[in-house]
Amino acid sequence: MAHILLIEPNTVLAETYTQALQHVGHSVVVVTGAQAAVDAADKQTPDIVIAELHLPGHSGIEFLHEFRSYTEWTDIPVVLNTTLTAAQLAPGVNALHRDLGIREVLYKPRTSLQDLVRVAREYIAAVA
Amino acid sequence: MNQIVTDGIILSRTDYGEADRILTLLTPDHGKLRLMAKGVRRVKSKLAGGIELFSVSTITYVKGRGEVGTLVSTRLVKHYGHIVEDLDRTMLGYELIKQLNKATEDHPEPDYFNLLHRAFEALDDFSIPLDLVHFWFIAQLLRLNGHTPNLQTDVDGHKLQAGALYEFDFEAMCFRQHPSGHFGATQVKFLRLGFTDHVAKTLMQIKGITTLLAEVAPLVQKIQQFYKH
Repeated sequence: MAHILLIEPNTVLAETYTQALQHVGHSVVVVTGAQAAVDAADKQTPDIVIAELHLPGHSGIEFLHEFRSYTEWTDIPVVLNTTLTAAQLAPGVNALHRDLGIREVLYKPRTSLQDLVRVAREYIAAVA
Repeated sequence: MNQIVTDGIILSRTDYGEADRILTLLTPDHGKLRLMAKGVRRVKSKLAGGIELFSVSTITYVKGRGEVGTLVSTRLVKHYGHIVEDLDRTMLGYELIKQLNKATEDHPEPDYFNLLHRAFEALDDFSIPLDLVHFWFIAQLLRLNGHTPNLQTDVDGHKLQAGALYEFDFEAMCFRQHPSGHFGATQVKFLRLGFTDHVAKTLMQIKGITTLLAEVAPLVQKIQQFYKH
């Protein structure tokens, strides 16, 4: 199974997501901020990153630009699971996909645990 | 070895080997520089310090034998930290850096440095609407690249008239009179201001700015697209 880097500032949600992902056999590292996410990826390269954009301190956008500036992390799938609506993301959504290699954007309030598990499985399988 | 001191804005960063980073910087007096920052790969300086995006730093470097010099030290002069408090401003900031990086040669004029510096100031000032910053930046970048459209005379060489309506002719890069054209004297006047060497905030003094932006920003974006192809 895969190693997942979960960037989620809400500790209750982070715990719930972690349990769901671990239940199907993945290992999960949870971080709440951008710098911690870079550090965690440095310690163990993730197979997939699931990230919120609204983070305390440096934003998820800053993290993604930093993350993608390292050649060994260029192709790691990143899925956004965010409270931002499609309308809020619309002005920059093309850049998210084109420049930052975002594979999929999930709207957090409508994302079930099954959705999250399915998306993780899908993109992990794609790079395996 | 001679150390050189200059101001710089980070355009891009990439990794080099296990521990080093190569930074591409825009400077006012040394064009674009590619500098190796040693030992910053796995320390907390990532996302922080003098090699942060959206900031101006004084840098000290040593010229290398090849095209890549070595960064000796950085001192943060000004960090436009409000930009990253807003996701849309952050995303536009990255986009403007990317556009300027693409548009400039290895030895760009100091005006490109000033443009990016002014763009950071505008993005950092939340009283300036984002679409205004975007319009202003594209117009200024086109101007610096020598792509200012003809905003004085029409395709036939006649002076643009106050009461007439026009459409834009992309091949000729000027207006063509058209009875149901979308551009009149007000829009042309606003475009002239956009392409003049001003800071973005100057345009906010114009009455009806929101409507004007909606009318002319798509045209300026199309002109930019035209030159990309």
